[in-house]
Amino acid sequence: MSDANSKIIPIAKAGNGGDGGSAAHRQLKISVLRYNPQEPSQPPRMQTYPLEEADGMTLFIALNEIREKQDPSLQFDFVCRAGICGSCAMVINGRPTLACRTLTKSLGAEFTLAPLPFFELIGDLSVNTGKWMRGMSERLGGWLHMKEPNPDLRRAEQKMDPDLADKIYELDRCVECGCCVAACGTARMRKDFVGAVGLNRVARFRLDPRDARTDDDYYEVIGDDDGVFGCMSLLACHDVCPKDLPLATQIAFVRRKMVSLGWS
Amino acid sequence: MESSNQLIAGIGLAGTARKSRWPARLDFIQSGTGLVLALFMWGHMFFVSTILISNDAMWTITKFFEGYFFFGKSYPIMVSFVVATVITLLVVHAFLAVRKFPINYRQFTTFHGHMKMMRHEDTTLWFWQALTGFALFFVAAPHVYIMLTHPELIGPFESGDRVWTGHYWPLYILLLLAVELHGGIGLYRLAVKWDWFAGPDPAATRKRLKTLKWALTVFFLALGFATLAAYVKIGIAHAPDYGKPYVPAALQAAPQGVNK
Amino acid sequence: MKIIYTDVLVIGGGLAGLRVAIGAKRRGHDVVILSLVPPKRSHSAAAQGGMQASLANVIKGQGDTEDIHFEDTVRGSDWGADQKVVRMFVNTAPKAVRELAAWGLPWSRVRRGDRTVIINGQKVTITERDEAHGLVAQRDFGGTKKWRTCYVSDGTGHAMLQTVSDQAIGAQIPVHERTEAIALIHDAGRCYGAIVRNLITGELVAYVAKATCVASGGAGRIYRVTTNAVICEGIGSALALETGIARLGNMEAIQFHPTGIFPAGILVTEGCRGDGGLLKDVDGHRFMPDYEPEKKELASRDVVSRRMEEHIAKGKGAKSRFGDHIWLDITLLGEQHIRHNLREVFEICHYFMGVDPTKDWIPVRPAQHYTMGGVRTNHTGESPDLKGLFAAGEAACWDMHGFNRLGGNSVAETVVAGMIVGEFIADYCDRLDNEVDIPTSLVHDFLKREQGKLDTLVDGRGTEDASAIKAEMQDLMTAKVGIFRRGEDLQAAVDELQRLLVRSRNIGLREKARGANPELVTAYRVQKMLKVALCVAYGALVRTESRGAHFRQDFPRRNDAEWLKRTLASWKGEETLPSLAWEALDVGTMELPPGWRGYGAKDYVDHPDTPGRAADVDAVKAKMADASRFDVQEALMPYDELLPEPLRGRNERIDEPMDKTCESGK
Ligand SMILES: Cc1cc2nc3c(=O)[nH]c(=O)nc-3n(C[C@H](O)[C@H](O)[C@H](O)COP(=O)(O)OP(=O)(O)OC[C@H]3O[C@@H](n4cnc5c(N)ncnc54)[C@H](O)[C@@H]3O)c2cc1C
Ligand code: HEM
Ligand code: HEM
Ligand code: SF4
Ligand code: F3S
Ligand code: FES
Repeated sequence: MSDANSKIIPIAKAGNGGDGGSAAHRQLKISVLRYNPQEPSQPPRMQTYPLEEADGMTLFIALNEIREKQDPSLQFDFVCRAGICGSCAMVINGRPTLACRTLTKSLGAEFTLAPLPFFELIGDLSVNTGKWMRGMSERLGGWLHMKEPNPDLRRAEQKMDPDLADKIYELDRCVECGCCVAACGTARMRKDFVGAVGLNRVARFRLDPRDARTDDDYYEVIGDDDGVFGCMSLLACHDVCPKDLPLATQIAFVRRKMVSLGWS
Repeated sequence: MESSNQLIAGIGLAGTARKSRWPARLDFIQSGTGLVLALFMWGHMFFVSTILISNDAMWTITKFFEGYFFFGKSYPIMVSFVVATVITLLVVHAFLAVRKFPINYRQFTTFHGHMKMMRHEDTTLWFWQALTGFALFFVAAPHVYIMLTHPELIGPFESGDRVWTGHYWPLYILLLLAVELHGGIGLYRLAVKWDWFAGPDPAATRKRLKTLKWALTVFFLALGFATLAAYVKIGIAHAPDYGKPYVPAALQAAPQGVNK
Repeated sequence: MKIIYTDVLVIGGGLAGLRVAIGAKRRGHDVVILSLVPPKRSHSAAAQGGMQASLANVIKGQGDTEDIHFEDTVRGSDWGADQKVVRMFVNTAPKAVRELAAWGLPWSRVRRGDRTVIINGQKVTITERDEAHGLVAQRDFGGTKKWRTCYVSDGTGHAMLQTVSDQAIGAQIPVHERTEAIALIHDAGRCYGAIVRNLITGELVAYVAKATCVASGGAGRIYRVTTNAVICEGIGSALALETGIARLGNMEAIQFHPTGIFPAGILVTEGCRGDGGLLKDVDGHRFMPDYEPEKKELASRDVVSRRMEEHIAKGKGAKSRFGDHIWLDITLLGEQHIRHNLREVFEICHYFMGVDPTKDWIPVRPAQHYTMGGVRTNHTGESPDLKGLFAAGEAACWDMHGFNRLGGNSVAETVVAGMIVGEFIADYCDRLDNEVDIPTSLVHDFLKREQGKLDTLVDGRGTEDASAIKAEMQDLMTAKVGIFRRGEDLQAAVDELQRLLVRSRNIGLREKARGANPELVTAYRVQKMLKVALCVAYGALVRTESRGAHFRQDFPRRNDAEWLKRTLASWKGEETLPSLAWEALDVGTMELPPGWRGYGAKDYVDHPDTPGRAADVDAVKAKMADASRFDVQEALMPYDELLPEPLRGRNERIDEPMDKTCESGK
């Protein structure tokens, strides 16, 4: 193990990119789909930025460098820049994914960036996923409906099976990045579809013994073609989810539960 | 109840009423009809492909379905019943499935553009499923109609004649391609939609399902084209005697002997 | 011009802001939350490690109480904390964990029976009690005597934010996302809300409120190497500062986290070390025991960070093209543990460095991590200077962290402060004399003033480049106001920052759009950030002692005689330096008089009152040897009446069952 320090470990470059090492770096050509709805006179267009790659360059570093050095008007959203907040989802070479944790070296020298489809466009690569997510949450009742609304906080917490807690967390890991919805052909065709993120929310609360709701209640919010029955099992949601949520199995599970109500 | 529901919907209060259970049932029925149809198509393919064994084999199967071996006499009407059932399933299935189609050009282009952009296999497969489903409306109709109306015209020569002299072979090529693609994808989709073969590793399961799906499609297409070729061959050979039914060798000899 | 009226305006949709809002809303007040980003993306989501609360469920936490949590926190703070606030905090923390549990947070739970853990590099088998099975679990964290950190796998902050944010949605609290408060509206010593910029349209709107609460998080981005999100720019604190009335406390107290991934600064959680990860140098040698034989890797953050830098300075760092660093070795925890319990760490290593932490060591070096200072408030969360202005969370100097906060005490603070301050804000709004009574003309004046500033930036003839100034500031802070501080560096930093501040008044924009315009945002923010940075650098320059995270090489001793006091910074008009004042801490009322922290240097100068107070405390303890710990505590430093009524009372534990007769707690 002590030989680990002799290993050459690729190291991410901090801050705002720049020189990097001695090795010759690729000349990147980054094409960005640009459009600002506030200035509708300028139609949507592709704009290509040349950029010298640096060691361990992520799209966070690359885009910030472009904004600082080439084009101060370029819009995009990063918050945590560590792949944990879900802000920076965009379409990279046709696939929705998190930009901040995409290393440029994992892409060709020329690649394209576009905003997530489906969501309201704010400008360039920035979309209003937050607004949609809040709407989805309000529509589904995306919060725990307590069985006992005023617990005595001085008393020990209610016990829970450790495995069940882990299972719930597994579904709670969603960062609401919107990749699953943007990748879903159903959602693209039908604006009111709740999307995998919504169905996963329902699965999560359904699993939680602290929630007061029953399947009948969940049926009220997702028991139609805008809900679970609208899903055509395209599974792109599952394949793009950057947090690897088990969306396919969860949607199937919810579907089985909801269908079983159809005959009861 | 129903009428009060209508009233509620009529004055725009549908959203506040308890939700209908029908969407759940319809989803189930859509899958159920699809499954039955797909399984029927497997059976169907094995039956018609008996022609590859021998004319007699095909004849035997045909007669079996006409009840010949039970009643000593053929009742083609029995086939009509089966056909009618299948047609019903088809109609129900198609009726439910078209709800999923793009309802206008805009939706179509959105989906199509989305598919092109994503290059995601399962999304692309759905497009093909919908497209073949759409094609099936047209190409399945003449076939099932003729089966419904002329159940007696099934047999090695009768079928061969229809395929070749009756110019059904181009239709069958399309029908075969459409139904195998559609059914294969459909079965795969059913498996993932309901998580039938849930294993400890869903990704691996899905990969296996996908492989199985393609293997089945290839197998049935191969079998289908071989079968179609067999009918074409018979049809060409039998063209001069177009319309003459097939009588197995065994039966040809015996009745002659009896009559004499 | 648009004016929005509400009872409570909360600036910030992180854990603190959301919890404050829920508290006020439950009491029947209208609340609006502002947030730069959708609330679930606030930086609270990044907290991986956990939240401290003395539940004492796990066997290694057995015997833990509020008392021990209190002592750990005060020692951690290097006696800079307000001990009454710490008491309020430690007593409410278990309630906060339990509230979150009731709200659906999937806390990791205790599993009965044996399990193997790594303590001190050794595999040890511990046995959890049957009666603890299914209760909230705790893990080990730096600077604590007991295992006290409650966690949700390694996504504690994420899960907490999800839960609290969901409850806020359930409570129908509107969150105005993608809006930014750019100035506080105030008049005659009272705060009336804020001028807010819509980040999508660029429109300015005035939000007028009875009570305004700054919950805008930390200011890490004044540094270049930081674990903080890009939105942690200290704007909320700057707004308070710019009123010229409200003051910021202890801004020089900046925490550096030992394990920022080198060189990007992305954090790998303290849980790595808590679970048994080791720090190694260029030779693969585990060096922490050489410096800190007692707590080793788990000494408090300021100590570990300093020891790492010290070791690197001795030439013992591993070399790389970006400079020297230390290795974090978690391979001994095993693949199962890393992939399951430290999954985020695994992902970060995998995605950002292409490193597999189950096999490879992780390059780390300390990075700016936490802002102990912030808007100075009293125990109710209200500014003592500007009425109607409240603060909570990392943006506040409520002062439970003093000069160094313990890992896991911060997310705990956000929800605890949220619970407490939320009640006090509701009380404030209940009082009739706190109705809003300002003329709209005043609001318009503020709107016009702020619009004018923005217009100058967009239309002016400035020539300075905003992002260049920002980068210079960040480099300066990292280089000169970092872990090791020296008078001349600090002086140079203060001088240079002042120059940058002057230059920042002459920024010109290349991009002239008034709506969404990232360059404009950088421009007006950097003007504010420089003021915050100056409070940090100047406060550090003047404080000629070492305390907690503030370490002066030229004044290495803690000096209670002169510096047992809180720095208060305010900003007057167009000045280029803050005005500093100091608020002494009262040794005479401390429950835990200043002493040695139990790790780090033993060398400090006592406050003249310390021996006397220490004797008093000992006497009380001796006299009450047979009394319950609650009675002793009450005798030493009563605090109960400071808490809002609904939050008072003891906390049940396995070993401290709450019998029916003492239902009412105390
Ligand atoms: C990487 C990392 C890991 C951490 N891990 C732990 C841990 O394990 N345990 C622990 O206890 N602590 C941890 N911390 C610290 C802890 O996460 C934070 O201190 C805490 O979450 C801060 O919460 P907050 O609500 O005060 O602020 P934030 O969560 O930062 O929220 C700030 C909010 O204010 C809004 N805002 C800011 N400025 C404005 C403005 N001008 N106008 C409008 N809105 C504004 C933002 O949009 C955001 O919603 C960690 C910190 C980091 C950086
Ligand atoms: C007129 C003929 C048909 C049309 C228009 C049609 C259309 C469709 C469509 C659009 C779907 C996708 C539905 C969805 O994604 O939810 C579908 C599913 C399916 N179809 Fe068909 N189809 C037809 C005939 C058939 C036939 C003949 C078979 C048998 C081989 C079949 C088997 C299936 C199966 C198994 C599914 C999956 C069901 C599900 O997802 O619930 N279909 N069909
Ligand atoms: C309902 C009862 C059905 C009966 C009794 C039936 C019977 C037959 C028969 C006898 C043939 C041989 C050719 C011929 O005689 O024309 C045939 C061929 C075929 N049928 Fe059907 N069929 C039925 C339904 C369907 C349906 C629903 C489909 C697909 C939607 C279908 C698709 C095909 C195809 C593709 C062929 C050509 C196969 C080949 O030669 O490889 N059939 N069918
Ligand atoms: S389910 Fe996955 S893809 Fe969808 S929003 Fe959540 S994290 Fe993103
Ligand atoms: S991609 Fe869409 S259709 Fe269903 S399986 Fe996923 S939600
Ligand atoms: S910026 Fe947070 S996930 Fe990318």
